[in-house]
Amino acid sequence: MVALILRAMSNEPNGEVAIEREVELMASPEKIWERITDSSMISEWMGGDVEIEPRPGGRITFSPEGGPGVWGTVEEVVEHERIQWSWRTDEGRPSLIEFELSPAEDGTIVIVRETLLPWRISGPDGFTEWPEASAWSSSALNAA
Amino acid sequence: MEIPHRVFSALGDPTRLEVLTTLASGGPATATEIAARMPITRQAVAKHLAALDAAGLVSRSPAGREVRYQFDAAPLEDLGRWAADTADTWDTRLQRLRKSVE
Repeated sequence: MVALILRAMSNEPNGEVAIEREVELMASPEKIWERITDSSMISEWMGGDVEIEPRPGGRITFSPEGGPGVWGTVEEVVEHERIQWSWRTDEGRPSLIEFELSPAEDGTIVIVRETLLPWRISGPDGFTEWPEASAWSSSALNAA
Repeated sequence: MEIPHRVFSALGDPTRLEVLTTLASGGPATATEIAARMPITRQAVAKHLAALDAAGLVSRSPAGREVRYQFDAAPLEDLGRWAADTADTWDTRLQRLRKSVE
């Protein structure tokens, strides 16, 4: 196990740790896109309530069943093709979630990647720290 | 799960990673012994060992006037658990997504 992880890390340019999953689903990219970017639809398969604003800078919150709440920001959106967001729990490490959809013969290839992020992430103004969870959560509630 | 950021920055440098894999495969060694096996100076090795020590990836024991370093896998096992748990979680979610679209 250790050797595997070391190898995985040395292959990543920044020593990043990531997992990737790829599946082919028998549905159009448009249909799958809707399942990912519509709050009520994504909540049906994520395993808890999700609120998502599918635009760059949009907020995302996730209340997994039996786990701590997760909150973050949508980073990149290319309709029907690609969406990325970063999020974290109050105590846990931030991670980047990426979905990529590409049309296949009978359906769509879906790739999901989760990459652990350093505590400091680069924002539009250069390197920024994650805001305090409490500050973020209250502003999210006010915006909702 | 809590994984200190230092583990990541410690592993981000290819030379430092090589120092660590040298310790992991060759057993405990001093900075001088590692420098003899790699094309870098003892001083450079000592700097990398200090970073690995800060990340908890090596433990230290006295060896005469030097310090002997030993590879400690615990922080990497945490990463392994994270990877396994995360992969399982996404597999479950993608199965539910499949059911909802097919």
